Order: sequence, then structure tokens, then C-alpha cells
Amino acid sequence: MITGTHGWHADPALLRSYLGGDVDAITGASLEQHVSRCETCRTAVGNLIEPQLLERTWAGIRDAVERPRQPYPLRVARRCGLPERTVVLLASAASLRGSWLLGAFLSLSFAALAAYASGGTALAPFLLVAPLAPVLGVAAAYGPRQDPLEVLIATAPYGRTRLILVRTIAVLVSVLPVTVLLGLAVPGPPWIAAAWLGPALALVPVQLALAALVGPRIAVTVLSFVWAGLVLNSVRPGMPPTWPVELAQQGVYLAVAAVACIVIAIRVGSNQQPGVPL
Amino acid sequence: MSVPTSTVSLTGVGKRYGRTVALADVDLTFDRGVTGLLGPNGAGKTTLLRIVATSIAAESGEVRLLGRDPHRSHGEVTAVRRQLGYLPQELGYPSDMTAFGFVEYVAVLKEWNDREDRAREVRRVLGVVGLADQATVRISKLSGGQRRRVGLAQALIGNPQLVVLDEPTTGLDPAQRADLRRALSELGNSSAVLLSTHQTEDVAALCERVVVLAGGTIRFDGAVTDLVATAVGRVWLADEPGEDALVSWRTGTGRHRVVGGTPAPGADLAEPTLEDAYLLMLGPDLRPAHATS
Repeated sequence: MITGTHGWHADPALLRSYLGGDVDAITGASLEQHVSRCETCRTAVGNLIEPQLLERTWAGIRDAVERPRQPYPLRVARRCGLPERTVVLLASAASLRGSWLLGAFLSLSFAALAAYASGGTALAPFLLVAPLAPVLGVAAAYGPRQDPLEVLIATAPYGRTRLILVRTIAVLVSVLPVTVLLGLAVPGPPWIAAAWLGPALALVPVQLALAALVGPRIAVTVLSFVWAGLVLNSVRPGMPPTWPVELAQQGVYLAVAAVACIVIAIRVGSNQQPGVPL
Repeated sequence: MSVPTSTVSLTGVGKRYGRTVALADVDLTFDRGVTGLLGPNGAGKTTLLRIVATSIAAESGEVRLLGRDPHRSHGEVTAVRRQLGYLPQELGYPSDMTAFGFVEYVAVLKEWNDREDRAREVRRVLGVVGLADQATVRISKLSGGQRRRVGLAQALIGNPQLVVLDEPTTGLDPAQRADLRRALSELGNSSAVLLSTHQTEDVAALCERVVVLAGGTIRFDGAVTDLVATAVGRVWLADEPGEDALVSWRTGTGRHRVVGGTPAPGADLAEPTLEDAYLLMLGPDLRPAHATS
């Protein structure tokens, strides 16, 4: 220690040991108390720390304070390798937040429960909800006249089409596993657990293509009514409850999805000027 | 020797919304500095700004932004957007985002991919608009003027070469407007700034050049001092309101400021302001909305 007229000050060697974590716990705690009160020693500590380290530490502190905390599913996705910038973009999508995912999970669970309680004779609730869940998520995740930042997105170099596709994929990744698991619990033919995937995956490009023309809200409303009509059709006497997802119908869904993909491709390809391709 | 190209060059640009003509045969070029765009509601200002901001396409005419044709290809328009900052007239703010989160989100859309560089840039632009201390505040808790400044901050990300601002001073108090003018005048040293506003005093304070738009056509394009000069000898201080004046009102001194028309006996010529000149420039277009008082 160095002593002076204003008390004692820690010598540079001791401060270096302190910064290096080489002092024992009692000395360290004592020194910390002293440094917090002594301006001279605080300045001395500051001079001993590498400026880059200080800058990195300060940036880290600011980051922790200023950067908004991302939703849990996205933090998990980041740990799994999703790029940080994509996480920032996805965090703004309503359908990727916990509340929406919980809502989707609950409605799917109730639908699966209803099918289970009926012993497989009432598949309609599950078949109604399961294919619509991803579509509703996609509709909620983006859209003209819906995203408050639409104008900025449309004039940003990242590209609106790219953003929509990234969000769509994220919705599918977040909703499909839960739906697949619940589908396994639904009684009935074993293939039913996967059969609903056909209309679910077909409805997404149809939603994207329709949304480009009439906006996501109208598009998802139209699709919901059309799909509900198909499912309710299977409730009529004499119709098998699996009718909406049987092979013949799957072919139709595939064809409709192919047409939707062509519409999207033409729209993206032909509209290369200012404005929005999707 | 190559011919220098303007930062923005519009030639014969037109745009319709259904049967309504928003812009008709507009020619406009501008470079570095702040260019003010004045005009009444429905004049076509926002349409013009949206074309320059690549938000909509012109129906006719030629558009060159930063030497590129944004209608030509996706690559061209993306190259322009990399150097563009745009503050739309109406910008929705996700209420659950913080000021930092909002600007960072836009920074990602502007391809600021490195996390640390992005954070530094977000802090810088929030500092420029005087919101460094409000970075962690949710946008829903900010005042209207502060939200507008958050909107402006995102337009400044990356010091873009072309900045398009639609009514940036809306909702700001006089001190905030003064701060904003300082920030914009600095920006004008390095960027081409197109600024649309209803506030003639902002244009007078900031811009060397002013463009007056009415009915989708350009009525005036020149130096602010030249526009003011068109009103010399047409503005009076009189004891009575001018009967055939374009506009007149009683001022704090008790005398009437009379813009246009015939001077009443005893009227004294007054120094015209940019607003006087602007009102006289629009003339008949203003009559239905501005009754003589």
C-alpha cells in the first residue's frame, strides 16, 4: 500500500493482481470497497485496463440494458444456429411470440382432445384447426396494411419478399412439430397423423399468393371459410370423417399449391420495380 | 469526360390514382443539400416523395436515383435502397418495441448485419435526434414528438446519400424543431435531402432551394430568396383588412397584414416572408380554404 495525506492508495502491483484475479477473497473484497470510494485508485485501475477490453465490457453492459430481450423460442433458435439478424427480424412478427404459439397449441390440443374423446368418429375439429394453424400464423406474421412498418420494409434493401418467406418458414417450423405430435394422439387410421400436412402445406402458398392480391386478412378469411366448408362437408351422413384428407383430395391440394407457387414466382419475377412483389 | 449525374433526376414523371392525377409531367433534379417541398394538401407531395423513396413506381417519365434507374431491375432498386433513408408521412410504430429495438429492426432491414456495428449505429442515430437517453423506453410511452424523432433516427441509419423526409417536424415543439433543423442542416452537407413540409419557416431556415407543388405540377423551383422576392411589393401593413387581398389578418400590433390585392390608403409596404410568397404563388388555389378575415 502507498500512504499519503488523504489515507492510503493501492499500489499498481496490487491493482494488477486484483484485475488479474490473483488476490485472495478477503484482500479482493477489501480492495473493491476501497476502489469504489477512492477516485485516485479508480483512475489507476482504469489506466491498467486495456481500452479494448473496457470498450467491449461497456458495450456488453449497454447491450444487456438497451437491447430488447428476445422471445424464448427465438433465443432457443439462436442457440441452435439461427443468425442473430434473423432473430431480430422474426422477433417483430406477432405470430412468433409466445402468446400466439400458446394460443395455437391450446386450440390444437382442444381439437385433438375432441377427436380423442369421440374415439375417432369426430375428426372434424382436428382437421379443421390443424391445417389452418400455420396459415393463420403466416397471415399474422406479415402483410400489406397489417405490418405497421410496411412502408419501411418495402423500401429497405433486405426485401419484403425475403422477409415474408423467412417469417413463413419460421411459422411453419414453430407450429408444425406441435401439430404433428398432437396428430399422433388423434385416434383413427395411422396415416391421419400426417395426412393433414397436405392441406396445411398447400394452404400456405395459396395464402401468400392470395395475400399479394387482396391482403393477408381477406386471404386468410377466405381460406378459412373454404377449408371449413370442406371439413363440414365430411360431417354429412354417409361421408367418411377422413374425407378432407384422403388421397383424391390431396391431389387437388397439391395442384392448387402448385398453381399458387407459379403465381408467386410470376409475381416476384415480373415486378422488379419499386413496389411490392408479394 | 463523363457527364456528372444528379443525385435525383425526374423527367416528365406522372402518376395517377384511378382518375385522379397525382403528378403530371414533373421535372425535378436535386443534389447534395436540403431541398424543401411545399404545397397544399393533395398537391402530390407525398406521391412525389414516395416515388423518390422507391415506395411506388412512376407511371410515366424517367426516374434516376443516384445515377440508377430503379424501374430497370431488382438489383438497381436494391442498390438505391442501400443509400436511402426514408421517413414516411405516416409511420406505424409497434407499441411494444423500444426506441432502440425499433431502430435496430430497421437497421437489420438495411443490412447492418454485424451485431456490434449495428448497436453503435443505432446509438449514434438516436443520439443525433436527441433520444440517446430514451433508448430503452417503449415507443408507446414516448410523446408524439419523440416518436417522430425515432422515425427520423431510422432514416439516418448509415448516413444515406439520399434522404426523403415527409413532414419530419410534425408534432415537434419549437426547441425540438430547432434541434432537428441543426441535424438536417448537418445531414445536408453530405446527403441530398428532400424535405416535404407545411411549415414554411422550416424551409426558410433550412433550405437554399424550394419547390412548390400544386395540383400535381411544379409551380416554382428555385432559391428560397427568389421565391420571397416574388412577393416584394405585394405585402402591406394596413389599418383595415384588404378587401381583395388573398389573405389578411390582424397582427399583435393592431394593424392588418395584407397579402396580395390592392393596398388600402395609408398602408405601408412590409418585408415579405416565405409564407407570404408561398401564399401568393398558390393564389387562387388557396381561396376556398383561406377566407379573408
